[in-house]
Amino acid sequence: MKKNLLNIRESVPKHSFRISVILFCLALMALTHNPVMAQDNSATVNVDKVISGKIVSDSGVPLSGVTVAEKNTGNATTTNEEGAFTISVPATSVLVISYVGYTAQELPVSGRTNFEITMISSDKTLSDVVVVGYTSQKKSSITGAVSSVNMNDLAPRRVPDVAQKLQGQVAGVQVTQSTGAPGDGINITIRGVGTIGSSSDPLFIVDGLPTTNISFINPADIESMTVLKDASAAAIYGARAAGGVIVIVTKSGKKGKTSLDVGYYYGTQKVANLPTMLNGTQYMDKMEESWNNSGYSGTNPYTADKSRTDLANTDWLKELFVPGHSQNLQLAASGGSDKIQYLISGEYYGQNGIVIYNNDQYQRLSLRTNINANVTDRFTIGTNLQLSNTLQDKISSSGDAPGVIRHAFIRPPVIPVYKDKDDPTYDPADPYTDLPFYSQNLAANGGTWNASANRYEFSSNPIALAAFTNDKRSNFKTFGSLYGEYAFLKDKELKLRTNLGIDMNMPHNKAFNQNFGDDDGGGADVDKGTGRQNRPTNLSEDRGQETTFTWTNTLNYNKKIQEHSFNVLLGTEFITNYSSSIGASRARYSDTDPAFQYIDFGAYPLDLWNGGSASEWSLFSLFGSVNYNYNNRYYATVSVRQDASSQFAANNQTATFPSFSAGWRISQEKFMQDVSWVSDLKLRVSTGKLGNQSGLSGYNSLAIYDPQGTLLRYGNPDLKWETTNQNDIGLDFGILQNRFSFSADYFQKTTSDLLLPLSLPDVVGNVQPTIVNAGEVSNKGFEFSVVYRENRGAFKYNINANIATVSNNVEKLDPNLPSIYGQVSKTAPGHPLNSFYGFQMIGLYQNQKEIDDYLTGAPHPDIKPGDIKFDDLNKDGIINDDDRTYIGNPNQRLTYGFNFLASYKNFDFSLLVQGVSGVDKYNDLKKIIDYDTRPFNHTVSTLNAWHGEGTSNTIPRSTFTDNGSSKTSSIFVEDASYMRLKNMEIGYTFTQFGKSHSILQNVRLYISAQNLLTFTKYTGLDPEPYNMFDQGTYPQSTAFLFGINIKL
Amino acid sequence: MKSIFKILATFLIFCSAGCQKELHKTPIGIITEGVAPTNESVLYSVTSSYQLLSSTLNIIGEWGWDDGTVLRNDFILQDIASGDMLKKWNPDGDQAWMDQFSDFSFTASNAGIKGQWSYDFTGVARTNLSISYLTDDELTASLGIDDATKKNLLGQVYFLRAFYYFDLVNLYGDVPLITDPLKNFADAYNVAKRVPKEDVYKQISEDLDQAKTLIPDGKYSDNTEKWRVSKGAVLAMQAKVALYNKNWADVISIVTAMEGLNYYSLDANYFDNFNIDKEYAENEVIFAYDHESLTTPRTGNGLCALLGWGFVAPSPDFINAFEPNDPRLEYTVDIPGQNVYKFLGELNGVNKGNDDAPSNKIYIRWADVMLWKAEALNETGAYTDAINIINEIRKRARTSVAADGSQPPAGTLPDRDVTSTNKDQIKNWLVQERRVELGFESQRFNDLKRWDLAKTFLTGLGKNFQDKNYLYPIPQGEIDKSGGSITQNPGY
Repeated sequence: MKKNLLNIRESVPKHSFRISVILFCLALMALTHNPVMAQDNSATVNVDKVISGKIVSDSGVPLSGVTVAEKNTGNATTTNEEGAFTISVPATSVLVISYVGYTAQELPVSGRTNFEITMISSDKTLSDVVVVGYTSQKKSSITGAVSSVNMNDLAPRRVPDVAQKLQGQVAGVQVTQSTGAPGDGINITIRGVGTIGSSSDPLFIVDGLPTTNISFINPADIESMTVLKDASAAAIYGARAAGGVIVIVTKSGKKGKTSLDVGYYYGTQKVANLPTMLNGTQYMDKMEESWNNSGYSGTNPYTADKSRTDLANTDWLKELFVPGHSQNLQLAASGGSDKIQYLISGEYYGQNGIVIYNNDQYQRLSLRTNINANVTDRFTIGTNLQLSNTLQDKISSSGDAPGVIRHAFIRPPVIPVYKDKDDPTYDPADPYTDLPFYSQNLAANGGTWNASANRYEFSSNPIALAAFTNDKRSNFKTFGSLYGEYAFLKDKELKLRTNLGIDMNMPHNKAFNQNFGDDDGGGADVDKGTGRQNRPTNLSEDRGQETTFTWTNTLNYNKKIQEHSFNVLLGTEFITNYSSSIGASRARYSDTDPAFQYIDFGAYPLDLWNGGSASEWSLFSLFGSVNYNYNNRYYATVSVRQDASSQFAANNQTATFPSFSAGWRISQEKFMQDVSWVSDLKLRVSTGKLGNQSGLSGYNSLAIYDPQGTLLRYGNPDLKWETTNQNDIGLDFGILQNRFSFSADYFQKTTSDLLLPLSLPDVVGNVQPTIVNAGEVSNKGFEFSVVYRENRGAFKYNINANIATVSNNVEKLDPNLPSIYGQVSKTAPGHPLNSFYGFQMIGLYQNQKEIDDYLTGAPHPDIKPGDIKFDDLNKDGIINDDDRTYIGNPNQRLTYGFNFLASYKNFDFSLLVQGVSGVDKYNDLKKIIDYDTRPFNHTVSTLNAWHGEGTSNTIPRSTFTDNGSSKTSSIFVEDASYMRLKNMEIGYTFTQFGKSHSILQNVRLYISAQNLLTFTKYTGLDPEPYNMFDQGTYPQSTAFLFGINIKL
Repeated sequence: MKSIFKILATFLIFCSAGCQKELHKTPIGIITEGVAPTNESVLYSVTSSYQLLSSTLNIIGEWGWDDGTVLRNDFILQDIASGDMLKKWNPDGDQAWMDQFSDFSFTASNAGIKGQWSYDFTGVARTNLSISYLTDDELTASLGIDDATKKNLLGQVYFLRAFYYFDLVNLYGDVPLITDPLKNFADAYNVAKRVPKEDVYKQISEDLDQAKTLIPDGKYSDNTEKWRVSKGAVLAMQAKVALYNKNWADVISIVTAMEGLNYYSLDANYFDNFNIDKEYAENEVIFAYDHESLTTPRTGNGLCALLGWGFVAPSPDFINAFEPNDPRLEYTVDIPGQNVYKFLGELNGVNKGNDDAPSNKIYIRWADVMLWKAEALNETGAYTDAINIINEIRKRARTSVAADGSQPPAGTLPDRDVTSTNKDQIKNWLVQERRVELGFESQRFNDLKRWDLAKTFLTGLGKNFQDKNYLYPIPQGEIDKSGGSITQNPGY
């Protein structure tokens, strides 16, 4: 066949693309008129007979609600409580018996009138078909490291994002939220981070269409999720698969009775695990102590202030966090006949977060239609289309400026939330306090604000920050495809499929930043006298459109010749992306009414900006694979993909990504036939190569200049793909008819030719880094998963646990880039990526002699007893940058999940425990609230600060001068391991309704709880967010939900 | 059937031929190789060559505190290091790297060391580009740039290149010497090698000679844009180079020549130099960076923003260095109000905290130049002339109306004894006079180093100044990025 194709290629001119398209269309038209495929129901007409039967599960329990349908007609019924059914059908018809969670069966009636039918549970059965990319395979024949997730088991995870559902489900898949704020991003990492300059996000294939973000999908729409972890499984996706691939298949309509599902839940959330901060009195005492310890001359101003009567006692955290709520409404209708199956679903999800006011929200509205039509019995067409609109009210959920959460921690408790109404600067539109005791400062300084007379430091009022947050980010997305599939040859062994997909995003961002706060005397002349925050009032708005077309063509050939089975795949894929955006900003709005929050109403001509830009890329790929198996015993898979990308110069445009895997199903060997308790035993090995180009933003091989001709960046004409080589060895083991199954994998993953931004020596001037291929990062680890199912009897349960390790190491970097420094980290060969790097605290100096004996290398007038003592690594008697070392590893080294699902009669219960171990975080919030030397608020732990020899060896003296806490050091590197009871749900299903309510099939009520318990030593708000530098991050909340599902 | 199959297979294969062409996209919205410079870009190359002398925030890097690139670091590397300046009025742990210049605990990884290197070499790179344009006669002819304009602009950028290299040799000693724009990325590694300081000085002298020839006579090189490098600025730089190389005769002859031009004299009031209302309308400033508010792109003084955050304070030793009632102290810093008037350019705190303030950064002024001559005269035995200059400076100071509007009382800053022939005594007077006259103007640390007094003086203040500190370390990142072809200074 291959030879044949090549001959054709040679004989047709290269520009005949358009001709081909026309020919293709003609071919399709010809096929649809092929009389061989016409429907033929006229053969025999039978008289209907009433037949009856009973349906039981594989464990002998009668099954109610099983659909029994006459094939190719709308005639159907369901079983009753005892599993019994009766149906009137022609004697020559075929019965189709289907039930969720069980393998559907077809039985010819053949004149019989009574049936005893046993349904086989389809959950994780080895005959399950797993979608592994452009093809699907039986689970038993898979030779790569592939995990599929049972979406039914995940129904109790009431989370808005599909990615969250994966958390704790698959060994080696790390899922972390960036923050707990509604709509903030979620990060998925498969088998560790293998890159520096690029993204390590997996590639998502949604109904055959590649995409990089799945937050638009309604989780309830998903039928299955399959994680392709190793190279052999993912290599068919070649250049974009280095981070692994997650294949998502959405639900589609089934033949038979129409069903209608309605679901609704409502939940409330509240913040948990807040630390205790100093109250007003404790704070003033602490400030007085700090001033006394600072060696200042004069009288202590805090001593005088302590007797003031206008000091507040504000608990800023309590003021900031309020209960949040979420709700979700689901509707789905599906059904179909032999010719056409359909599914229509719609969803609304809304969440209002736990910060005061309604400016931390997330909403999603989505609509999906899925239609498949069998034009003939060889030709199928279909469409799968989703529209979704997401809207995030974005709050500053992490970081410093404006950092709503951080400021609630640091703002002194002696400042009230609101100004006194008698305050001459009080404004009903902005009643919040800002600069501490502002009007008093004005009064004392002749009407101008004197920053140096401020004794309570600068911090923003977090309540005001939350109130004036107005940052809306929405995206309207159209995602879907059209496909046609035609089956050739006698037994339909050869299938040609063409799929045209579109992924179109239309983001719209609008932030109206209204001026507020006190006048600090600053600002441009035109803005003098206005508040210091958002000065001047400004609006920025932008809209964009990003369109990705994907056109995929595959030929798939399946053949079994005696004991040899083959599956051959050949395909091409063309992806083209174009995005453009336009935006503007204006300032000095005289009217802040929402009706005037538009670009037209900003003042002219100062500080206005308009902009627009575009970018594009495309990718063309050829790929193929061969699966072979001998007698279901020996398996081999070879695949290869060749990608050509517009991101590279012509010399390196193309790269090839091959893979190979093999499996030996030992349990099928003759010598194993006597070992009846072993139901499955398989050994797998695989190796392959994957690519990554996500670190490129376009044209990196070229030098670029600004419009004045100044060089902005040198190009690198030799730029090529980042490549990942991965090897995997795995074992699958099942006993007791696979009621117990176990999987183990060991992998080694090495990414080389990393796409690294290389800064040139500054001697060439300030230019942007050039992207080069340099360096190597490795990840290796073990993965284990265990499933145990008990389906017999009234009490059924299912345990699913997994655990994975990964160890990360930078093998080498560029000779001109021996290390990469981050704010508190260093990446260098021999150490994990982004290792924390700084000073090692070894205690506190207890007395002057200790200081003098230790710091012998230089005068040290500023160091006092009670200051932090750092390890003098080079023993030169001086603490300086040369004494820094590696002080922590922010890469998760061990992840695990434990799922327990059970049902007893009509009750069901589920539980998920998930955790991470061996991960460090830089707790910068601790730095500012426990150790900072500015007059911010502190936690109560500082009440035990050093106050004399022997009083503490961990908490330094309180002072306004540097006690050592300004250094990046091990004090702030904390173990962020945690174990969290993520989810718990209890439900009850009503199934018996009177005749008058027979339209109802069942109604399920449930209550659900999330993030109920957390075990961690981490002292920050939440150990889970993935940012390694925690400056005070919007925490995950504890949530309680109540919901109802109705099935009609 | 078979023919349909062939048609479909053909289609699959030929789709590829069609799509492959889509991989060669014309870049959208970026300028790649081969764009000819325009008139505008040539002029911009000159203006942007000045930019690295400004204290405007974020002209390279965006809030790159860790790279020392938020603003120009002279005040840290010079004034904090000299012991005159403290990081903040109330010491704290903020931007601790700045404190490392107070006690000489910095290492080669310090942000300020890197920041100043980046600023100066970016300045060099921009002047190189500009020089390459302006020396391309074909280009300037085709753009219709007239000869006088071309010479004037070229003279300015030669001066600027000399200025940046002069700062570099004083801070770091031997440095890479790059005089042409790089053609490609690999060239960066060929030029990243240090050359002897003498070679750099040779280039500085050549550039200044060129500038002197090219820049037209007159107090300003451009009467509408008075901030541009003038003839006087070039002469002053030549004198300063001579001074730093102890060529006393050259210092005297150049400064004497400058006196003959009658462009410069001491302002009546000491603060007129700095006063934002008198910019370029007084007699003393020779070369300054012109900070302006509300321009696009921004050219405001961002150091004033730092003042608002409590940065920049005088050390007690600096305050004590002023003789009683010397009005220059309060013109430099307002201690009760915690205002650095010299930076704010006015006698109030209105612009304190403003990241776009209009106050200029003065690099060379006449009082400084006069004291160079005094120093050269003293070194060559012309004691009376030297003392007379010092006394002129003192007279102007004591006759300036003080910041509070009062007249300094009689007996303030008395004249030095003109009859003295004690060279060391006169030198001490000079050392003292330069410190208070030029306080916070980034001169003191260089002075201490060239006088060989840095160790004695700074050790006397209890600082751990070592011999190696006569030069700053080469930024560690530069050594790393060059793959080791840039070497470190001894002792670091």
